[in-house]
Amino acid sequence: MAEPLILHPVDRPGIATVMARKGVAPGTLNAALGLSLPDGPGAAFAGSRTAIATGPGTWLVLDDHAGADFAGRLAETLAGIAAVSDQSGSYLVHALSGPAARALLQRGLAIDLHPDAFGPGSAAISQIAHIGAVLWQVDDAPTYRIAVWRSYAESFRHWVEVTAVSLDEADQGG
Amino acid sequence: MTRRATGGLIDRATPLHFTFDGRALSGFAGDTLASALVANGVRLIGRSFKYHRPRGILTAGSEEPNALVTLRTGAAAEPNTRATTVELFDGLAARSQNRWPSLRFDALAVNQLFAPLFVAGFYYKTFMWPAAFWEKLYEPLIRRAAGLGALSMEPDPDAYDHAHAFCDLLVIGGGPAGLAAALTAGRAGLRVVLANDDPRAGGRLLAENAVVDDVPGHEWAGTAIAELAGMANVRVLARTAVIGVYDGCEYAAVERVADHLPSPVSGQPRQRLWKIVATRAILATGATERPLVFGGNDRPGVMTASAVSTYVNRFAALPGRRAVVTTTSDSGWQTALDLVKAGVTVVAIVDPRRIAPTHHAVTTLIRSGTEIMLGARISDVFGSPVRKVEVVKSNGQVRRLACDLVAMAGGWNPAIGLGGHLGARPQWSAEKHCFLLDEAPPGLAAAGAAAGKFSLGKALADGVAQAVEVCAALGRDCPPPHFAGHDEPADGTPFWHNATPLAMRGKAFVDFQHDVTDSDVALAAREGFTSVEHMKRYTTLGMATDQGRLSQLNGHALLAAATGRAIAEVGTILSRAPWQPVAIGVMAGAHRGAHFRPERRTAGHDWAAEQGATFVDAGLWKRAQWFARPGESDWLETVNREVTMTRQGVGICDVSTLGKIDLMGPDAAVLLDRLYINTMSTLPIGKARYGVMLREDGFVMDDGTVTRLGDEHFYVTTTTANAARVMQHLDFARQVLWPELDVQACSVTENWSTYAVAGPRSRALLAAALPGCDVADAALPYMAATTLRWNGGPLRLARLSFSGELAYEVSVPAQHGDVLVRHLFATGRAFDVVPYGTEALGVMRIEKGHPAGNELNGTTTAADLGLGRMMSRKKDYVGRTMAGREGLTDPARPALVGLVPVDRTSRIRAGGHLLPPGAAATAASDEGYVTSAAYSPTLGHPIALALLANGPSRHGEHVIVHDPVRGADVEAQVCPPVFLDPEGTRLRG
Repeated sequence: MAEPLILHPVDRPGIATVMARKGVAPGTLNAALGLSLPDGPGAAFAGSRTAIATGPGTWLVLDDHAGADFAGRLAETLAGIAAVSDQSGSYLVHALSGPAARALLQRGLAIDLHPDAFGPGSAAISQIAHIGAVLWQVDDAPTYRIAVWRSYAESFRHWVEVTAVSLDEADQGG
Repeated sequence: MTRRATGGLIDRATPLHFTFDGRALSGFAGDTLASALVANGVRLIGRSFKYHRPRGILTAGSEEPNALVTLRTGAAAEPNTRATTVELFDGLAARSQNRWPSLRFDALAVNQLFAPLFVAGFYYKTFMWPAAFWEKLYEPLIRRAAGLGALSMEPDPDAYDHAHAFCDLLVIGGGPAGLAAALTAGRAGLRVVLANDDPRAGGRLLAENAVVDDVPGHEWAGTAIAELAGMANVRVLARTAVIGVYDGCEYAAVERVADHLPSPVSGQPRQRLWKIVATRAILATGATERPLVFGGNDRPGVMTASAVSTYVNRFAALPGRRAVVTTTSDSGWQTALDLVKAGVTVVAIVDPRRIAPTHHAVTTLIRSGTEIMLGARISDVFGSPVRKVEVVKSNGQVRRLACDLVAMAGGWNPAIGLGGHLGARPQWSAEKHCFLLDEAPPGLAAAGAAAGKFSLGKALADGVAQAVEVCAALGRDCPPPHFAGHDEPADGTPFWHNATPLAMRGKAFVDFQHDVTDSDVALAAREGFTSVEHMKRYTTLGMATDQGRLSQLNGHALLAAATGRAIAEVGTILSRAPWQPVAIGVMAGAHRGAHFRPERRTAGHDWAAEQGATFVDAGLWKRAQWFARPGESDWLETVNREVTMTRQGVGICDVSTLGKIDLMGPDAAVLLDRLYINTMSTLPIGKARYGVMLREDGFVMDDGTVTRLGDEHFYVTTTTANAARVMQHLDFARQVLWPELDVQACSVTENWSTYAVAGPRSRALLAAALPGCDVADAALPYMAATTLRWNGGPLRLARLSFSGELAYEVSVPAQHGDVLVRHLFATGRAFDVVPYGTEALGVMRIEKGHPAGNELNGTTTAADLGLGRMMSRKKDYVGRTMAGREGLTDPARPALVGLVPVDRTSRIRAGGHLLPPGAAATAASDEGYVTSAAYSPTLGHPIALALLANGPSRHGEHVIVHDPVRGADVEAQVCPPVFLDPEGTRLRG
């Protein structure tokens, strides 16, 4: 029997906000970024890189194997077509999986995570237990990733702890 | 014991022990506290709210107004718990309420003798004057005499949590209609949530001897709920009451996760608040039986007929041995039959109607010795508990019948309270004799008894039909199942009031919990409270915890009769959330105490905590307020040390909470010029500038610095408090006001850990901490900024000063923030570096006359703050036009000044008002107020900043700081707001 809930921090991914310059279509950035940016709510994946649409013409781009100065290098690549801000220090990213993962999230998140409504590639900018969060689904396991602002990490950890112990067998159906 | 030897849905193999008022009693698994009390022959449960009349159990459901007890003990004690909804558990302890000194002898029952005083509107009429008597006399008196249970006054030891659910169909209620609807929709593949208040599915099927699909009703319900529980697309929430309907098809529900256990399983909450978003909902909450209004109808031993049937059938507990049944509906006759079948003597059945519902019922009852009294009514009840009733027969003859139980059946009110939550008033149905939903909240429809389909067969069919309709609306194919149920006689003719000519008739109650009688309603009508909403508030009818589920309609009918109107014309009140009483704790969930709201910690938080920091809340942020050292006697000594050591040496303060915004793009400079009162486009790369922005109305919104990092890249800082507001303002400007500008912006507040390094030795410290970085004045002059590499990432160094000292702000990405602060202090030890908190920060900025939150308070202009000369005349900017209004440019406006107490020792307090010496302390003499005050360890005396009318022209004058709330008046001298180093030689050093 798999663990009902597996939560671990993603080790220091490179994170940057990418904002298209005025009049630049998302597709224009794809080649430089190495993935196909979602033109609307959602997440796109390519290798170690993920892009989450966080607003019109705005994406949070993450790379699990980013070297030093991820944002700086991205800014050079996208010079003239997008503005880039380093956010590597802004977020703590957690990977959450296991049969009880969905039930845990639904304790605090007012967005429907049922497979019919939210699947791999779905993303949401919302709140979990009053803590702002960027959440996206990676695969069918289901595996989710949740990025919360670093300053809220302790409150988020507390909420996960007290909520995880309140899960029971009925919550493991996914 | 009055427990039947067999039958009932209780588990006789699992006896449970409990106490009521300390008396040891026992029941069985499957009992409620109420049914166990009935089975133990306990008939007196509590005293009423106003008259302290003895009361028993009236109902068997959540509408119970009388049997309110305090459950559990100590901190876990929960007052006003309805005994009818409490599942019995082993070791349960319950106490009666509202009695002193004991339940059987209640000294305050003497209130009844003064009953004429306690009529409707009593509080309004009697305690109007004098006002001072309210607090001292009337209120304590009323609070002791009236009121229900008392709180433990200890913190709630239980845990609560929240959860969200989403579905195609929410079925509210697990009775026949609800089960039929859930089965229909579940089998069709819809995502269904079934919320059932009862721990057990079946609703009325548990309380009656009905048959569905040729099996006993409760067995059918058991099979149905098992099928539903097995469906992956269905979530069954037992013990869950839907309490509110909200916009956007949202429903709130409370799941009683552990209320049926002696204490919650470790880690489990006691209750859980569900927010359910449902495309459609079916309200299958059934119907609530109406009491009848007759003299003594509140005496222990008088129960609703449906409650009697429930105790007899579901719980195998007999509420009496000799019963009189009084009914205006066919269902009351079924109760009489249930009693006969259980071996109870039914002395008489009293029905104001003149025709019995079925021949079978009449012959069965006659054969068992029951007197059939048609066209008759009960006029009074005697005894407490009941000993006999007085019946007025159709021929006017008065009979007294000995009995110990009165079952009353006044017809059925569909339980549609939730349907009114979004504001639609139910409409009277002359055909069904009840209010029905006319206009329900979007997506919600009533089914079964809640829709006036009272017979079992019709309720089952309606549940199916409503679910089929939902399936069709959602485009699902749905073969309608058929559930066979008998259509029992379910007619009734309401009989609103047993008005009788007998003068000695006892009180006839309409609202049992609030002790509102028929004569109170009549009095309200006579005094002009003829709207149902006015009558409700004047009499408090329907304002108790049952929200008038029993009393409302009887009250409205009496009001209609008293004012000569039809019930349809009088109408009914609006039900409001929560539909049932809810513990405050479940609303809070996990968010209580220290976790009431999330907190934000800077990257240097742990380091600060290690240094003994005392933290203060700044919005959600925790900021170090000061760092006390052993031997320091109070906070002021600590803060004075921090200020002095910084001004004489070097100090470091965590300023990471300031708002930070990256602004980029070819038009970034243009946007900044339009947002700040001063010009930013002329800023050279590598330089910073102080700026002020206004709101549209011309008042100051925020201040901060702008640093140009590149030709098209600016870094904007804001105050901690206004970080989100400035970001919104900036986004609004670029997205709505000037979408043609090519400018991008995002918050990077979280990305940068920033430390202010201040004091004459700050340069030396940084030179040691950042070898290779030229921090000499020539390379990094005042208001210059540079970026270097440190610890594998960028480090931004800017020569900015809030303290007035030679100072720098050092920023690194937040993942390096902890490392940086430790590095700075390790290096700084050689320089005797001191950490300082927000108090010292505040003292130093007051010494320098820098405006902060107290001055940027939404009522000050740039000129008020002495920043008028920053307002550019060469460009337009947000707020410029409105800032030019006459009232905002008046030179007499209160403007920023400094204050020093004339005696150099008296403390000036922020908030004190400024008066001319000798003037009366009146609003007309008011010339301004103190915004910030501190003791200046640098100057050795108290100082303050204030907004004073004509302030800048009054330096040297004296004013009186008037502080009537906290202390005596202080005479102060007006001076320039910059107390220290007005030439700025220190910060340019």
